[in-house]
Amino acid sequence: MKNIIFKFSISLMLLCFFCNCDSFVEIDLPPGQLNTPSVFEDRTTANAAMADLYAKLRDSGLITGNGTGLSNLMGNYTDELIYYGSATTGIPPFYNNTLTANNGTVASFWNDSYNQIYSANAIIQGVAASVSLRQPDKDQLTGEALFVRALIHFYLVNLYGAVPYITTTDYEINRHAGRLATELVYQSIITDLVQAQNLIEEDYVVAERIRPNKGAAIALLARVYLYHGDWAEASNTASVVLNDSQYGLESNANMVFLKGSTSTIWQFKPMAEGVNTAEGGNFVFTSGPPPFVALREDLVNAFEAGDHRRISWIGTVSDGSTTWYFANKYKEQTNTGSSVEYSIVLRLSEQFLIRAEARARQGELSGAKDDLNVVRHAAGLGDTPAVSQQEIIDAILRERRVELFTEYGHRFFDLKRSNALDTTLSTVKTGWNTTDALLPVPETELLLNPNLAPQNTGY
Amino acid sequence: MKNLSFNKGRPSCLCIFIFAMLLSNQIYSSELTFGSYVKQSQQQITGTVTDVAGPLPSVTVIVKGTTTSAVTDEKGNFSITASSTDILVFTFIGYTTQEIIVGRQTSIKVILSEDSTQLQEVTINAGYYSVKEKERTGSISRITSKDIETQPVTNMLATMQGRMAGVSITQNSGVPGGGFDIQIRGQNSLRSDANRPLFIIDGVPYASETTGFYLTAGAQPTTTSPLNSINPSDIESIEVLKDADATAIYGSRGANGVVLITTKKGKAGKTTFNVTTMNGTGRVTRFMDLMNTEQYLAMRNEAFVNDGIQPGPSDYDVNGTWDSNKYTDWQKELTGGTVQINDVKYSISGGSAKTQFLISGDFHKETSVFPGEFRYKKGGVHVNLNHTSDDEKFRAQFSGGYTVQDNLQPGTDLSAVSKRLAPNAPSLYTPDGNLNWENSTWENPLSLLESKTKGRTGDLLANVLFSYQILPELTVKSSFGFTDLRHEESRTMPSSMYDPAYEAGSEYSILYLNTTSRRSWIVEPQVEWSKSWNKSRTSVLAGVTFQQLNGRQLVQEGDGFASNALIYNLASAYVVDIRNDSEQDYRYQAFFGRANYNYDDRYIVNLTGRRDGSSRFGPGKQFAYFGAVGAAWLFTNEKLFKEHSTFLSFGKLRASYGTSGSDQIGDYQFMDTYTSSGNNYNGISGLQPTRLFNPDFGWESNTKVEVALETGFLKDRIFLTTGWYSNRSSNQLVGIPLPGTTGFSSIQANLDATVENQGIELTLRTVNFHTEEFDWTTSFNISASRNKLLSFPDLEGSTYQNQYVIGRALNIRKVYHYTGLDPASGLYTFQDVNGDGSLSAPEDKQTVLDLNPKYFGGLQNQISYKGVQLNFLFQFVKQDNYNATYLGGMPGIMSNQPITVLNHWQHPGDTSGYQLYSSGVNGAAVEAFSKYYDSDATITDASYIRLKNVSLSYTIPEKWLSGLKCRVFVEGQNLLTITHYNGADPEFRSPGFLPPLKIFTAGLQFTL
Repeated sequence: MKNIIFKFSISLMLLCFFCNCDSFVEIDLPPGQLNTPSVFEDRTTANAAMADLYAKLRDSGLITGNGTGLSNLMGNYTDELIYYGSATTGIPPFYNNTLTANNGTVASFWNDSYNQIYSANAIIQGVAASVSLRQPDKDQLTGEALFVRALIHFYLVNLYGAVPYITTTDYEINRHAGRLATELVYQSIITDLVQAQNLIEEDYVVAERIRPNKGAAIALLARVYLYHGDWAEASNTASVVLNDSQYGLESNANMVFLKGSTSTIWQFKPMAEGVNTAEGGNFVFTSGPPPFVALREDLVNAFEAGDHRRISWIGTVSDGSTTWYFANKYKEQTNTGSSVEYSIVLRLSEQFLIRAEARARQGELSGAKDDLNVVRHAAGLGDTPAVSQQEIIDAILRERRVELFTEYGHRFFDLKRSNALDTTLSTVKTGWNTTDALLPVPETELLLNPNLAPQNTGY
Repeated sequence: MKNLSFNKGRPSCLCIFIFAMLLSNQIYSSELTFGSYVKQSQQQITGTVTDVAGPLPSVTVIVKGTTTSAVTDEKGNFSITASSTDILVFTFIGYTTQEIIVGRQTSIKVILSEDSTQLQEVTINAGYYSVKEKERTGSISRITSKDIETQPVTNMLATMQGRMAGVSITQNSGVPGGGFDIQIRGQNSLRSDANRPLFIIDGVPYASETTGFYLTAGAQPTTTSPLNSINPSDIESIEVLKDADATAIYGSRGANGVVLITTKKGKAGKTTFNVTTMNGTGRVTRFMDLMNTEQYLAMRNEAFVNDGIQPGPSDYDVNGTWDSNKYTDWQKELTGGTVQINDVKYSISGGSAKTQFLISGDFHKETSVFPGEFRYKKGGVHVNLNHTSDDEKFRAQFSGGYTVQDNLQPGTDLSAVSKRLAPNAPSLYTPDGNLNWENSTWENPLSLLESKTKGRTGDLLANVLFSYQILPELTVKSSFGFTDLRHEESRTMPSSMYDPAYEAGSEYSILYLNTTSRRSWIVEPQVEWSKSWNKSRTSVLAGVTFQQLNGRQLVQEGDGFASNALIYNLASAYVVDIRNDSEQDYRYQAFFGRANYNYDDRYIVNLTGRRDGSSRFGPGKQFAYFGAVGAAWLFTNEKLFKEHSTFLSFGKLRASYGTSGSDQIGDYQFMDTYTSSGNNYNGISGLQPTRLFNPDFGWESNTKVEVALETGFLKDRIFLTTGWYSNRSSNQLVGIPLPGTTGFSSIQANLDATVENQGIELTLRTVNFHTEEFDWTTSFNISASRNKLLSFPDLEGSTYQNQYVIGRALNIRKVYHYTGLDPASGLYTFQDVNGDGSLSAPEDKQTVLDLNPKYFGGLQNQISYKGVQLNFLFQFVKQDNYNATYLGGMPGIMSNQPITVLNHWQHPGDTSGYQLYSSGVNGAAVEAFSKYYDSDATITDASYIRLKNVSLSYTIPEKWLSGLKCRVFVEGQNLLTITHYNGADPEFRSPGFLPPLKIFTAGLQFTL
């Protein structure tokens, strides 16, 4: 009997021992994660947070070269591209100008963009709270994050009209964010870019111009001033870039989109060595009919005779009876031994055209013509025959069409800011409506945040 | 450091524990003969026990009032020592117990009759304890191997469909290896992915979270479910715990119910060898009625006329490029194949009264309805060993199983494309047998099959249970469980998928590779005490749980290969990218107990409780208490009834109340971290913010109430159980949806919302005939439930405002109200709720539709006549669902349509049918269609009655085969569907994917 009681109490004691191990349920950080504050205490990890943002911009959202980015979709939306792909992808609503508020691509434009903005804000906040990061590193990272934040908001405001300008990671604030008037969004973009150009180094922090330097911030600021109608600022700001000896126009059109081009201001490094651009994969095709998209013939015909860009940047495929054209700026469809082309986000020729237009709008006609002619000469063309202010402005817009086609929606934005969307597109696009100047705010967003109401008209 | 030292300590204290138990066993076995004293007139009695069909093995023979017992062997023989005044009691589950006075007999022949009315004596597994059916206080549904074995299915959830009240099961895909959704008594959590029940196999929790990844999901609508590993033929019984009384002992994990799976055990007696072989076929149950070429082309041409334009350069179907006289039934062509099913099972079992064993194995193979060499293979072994010491005080039980699955399926399910493809699209092959690309004018659907998904899973599950009876009333026991799952899944996208005209070489080929492993252990030491005195019986159980689960998932992408022949070799890829590398550490600790008191088999009270701690919560939020009380009153055991009621043979009123919880939120959610994103930029691997950070969330709690009446009439030949339950989930732990402007789509937090699930469940079992030769039993169950959002403070100001309505179900859709065709324009019109002249969300999306089933259930009949057995089950569901128009896209675009779309607007004044056709350029038509898609017109009645399962078997009389038992059987699944639904399959909720198949098999079973 004693024996039994002894064993019984041992068993009970053992049970009680088990009951006292509350710390058993405390776990360590998983191996793939770091505590947020520690990320910004170290230069390497802070740079890794920044690198992730560039990789996301390259692979998703608005300025990716993938088929889901502006270059392809807004090319379809306007008069640059003809769509040949499947009827059940997300592209026909863009091509037919029949977007609806529940369109998935419109929603991912929005969500990817604000996710990228969150990352930028998280870097700005994390760096500010850091105690051990050196000041030059802090400045550079903050400046780059501000630059990215401004860049994305710039595209959003031009696509959706009034949009929330997000400057914090606090979801309690952001979940109720209302739409800020277009004018105020522009003010915020300008503020961010001015601050960014003061913080970012003049020299590129890494080789190959794959992270924005001060020049990139200034170049974007020049574009923002132009879109905003600040002609003098646009002209002066573009001049800063144009006077920078780092940059020069390539006289050979075949060189412009190579990774080592001197006219490049900022470009994306591909995800791995040997990989080239997504644009090359999307636009280039080798036999007809085209698998995905082809250039419209009227774009091809918009080039003047003798324009080197017509030969270098437009590819031709024929099956004997029909001829198709494709954007051949980026020529590599697939991987090469080492990468030869990177996706270029900011190029010098745009800066010439910005200053040309800003000058023309202010009446500085000869200066305007000079800048326009620099771009024309690089393409093997002679001086512009335009004389009057309106002729010069028209010539610049025409030049922009052939210089910047299938790049990040330039065509759409240029038509929009020159109030030419309806006159130009209603003749070539059956589905075009005046209200198509703005994309719909994603319906899910309107449902989740009533402060985003009202929906853009027409949706 | 604290963790570390504890980890060191644990194994050693476990050893002590086991050792203590083993030690005590040895001492006691030496005192063995102490208990049995010898009577004078003892003699050896031998005999045979049989039933109508032949000898009955494993029948227990007990000398009444003593512990002397014996078990019949394979031939039904037994031998036992008894005196002439003794009474022998013969018991066997499912048979009427017989008592025979020994008298002067030395050889006794007993014929037991099958007693389908005696289920009240069956012992039910309630997890940590077991309880007699008649004495249970909780709500537990059960099916046994009898029901499971007659179904030619490979997923254990499929075997439960239609057979259990309150358990709603839907199949996600007809492609083998696909998942099932299971919901026990409705949706408790606003989190759509947090309504899974807890699965326990032989006492070991089985993680049912997906092992797949979206990049490798391939032809499945959902990522891979590990539940496919569980082998239905290894299962002896499945018990589903539903109410508080049954689930509270599982505490935090019991909120959504518990599914207990008990595997087969060895049986004493002669070694039995059993082989079953089965072959069969499977086909798609129903196709959609789609337009033929003539109808389709008429639609397309009309669309262009309506749009006022000519067909464009890429409208190959109508611009003269494709043959306008060609017709192909693409559904038949692409998904109309016949699945070949082969299945072999074997088992060997036997042993002595003290030690029994079972070894079983199985192999299953099935092909695919898609063209090509696709197949699913599954095989496994299962072992069970039981041992009882001579003094019956020490018991050990081991069960272990290993299952291997090998699945090769297309990378894309062709069901969607088979419904959309123009009926005059070109031939699949050129005359010389190559894939036909028709001059690059189409994407040949067979090219999609070049992309393949491969899945290989190995799943080990083992558990040991030791128990030792220290005192007659006191038993200590401990279970030790271990699981190890390894899953490798790949999806290829070789360049051969693409039109050769594009000259895409293998540098375009892509491989996605997912390797997931998951390993867990559990230890649950317990003490059980039971005592009877006078009319009272009590049992008390206390125990602790330690559980740890470690998981790892590595997803890699390889881009560009030197050759497509090397596509499965990651080292041959030009670029390798890590898409996901995540580890998981889940720890769980609990203290649980149960106290049960039974007075005179009339009044029973059952108390259960649990203190739970989970690593999924942040410091200070890890622990919580759960508990329940259940009670039953067996009123037919009252004197009054016993004496006066002959009609009412059994009556029990039971009720329970209690709480349970849920921690289904994933791991590490309370931490503020950056994660490696796998994005490479300039050689730097990116770090991204993991989530929006909230450390303060805690347990979700669920309160359950149930009242049920169980009544048996005419010696239980009619048995009716009627139950009412009401479950309330509050402090909802959810990912609160956030607008995109926050950078994320949700944040983890507790929400002060309450969800109620109320319902009635009715189970009726009638024994229609019960004679020696003819038996006919009918079982019917029906469940009606109502899901309701009871309260949601500040719903109007929350992001849920347009998703939920207070007083309505969670699974609702707020949609436009369709008001018919505009006779002038031919466009769909909708109700402008706020009358502002335009249709917009959310103001005009105010019609609420409930997609929950209104009621569901099953009707099963089991008929046997001599050696012939016929079982069949009708399953029925009353529900609304998205109809056929949901999938096709706007009528008029280059996509085929259901034949019903022919009824459409053609002339001003037409008011019925579908809107005017458009090729996609008519903005107003696209807009109207997109709203139609989002309106109450696309959600219609999808109720159905389905002949879910039929099985017919014949046991060849043994005398014909000289001792060899042989059973011949045919089985069918999803044979007949009665429905008004105009889509493909009403049971099914994943449009665009392959619905469940109609399966027909035949087989043979030999027993030696």
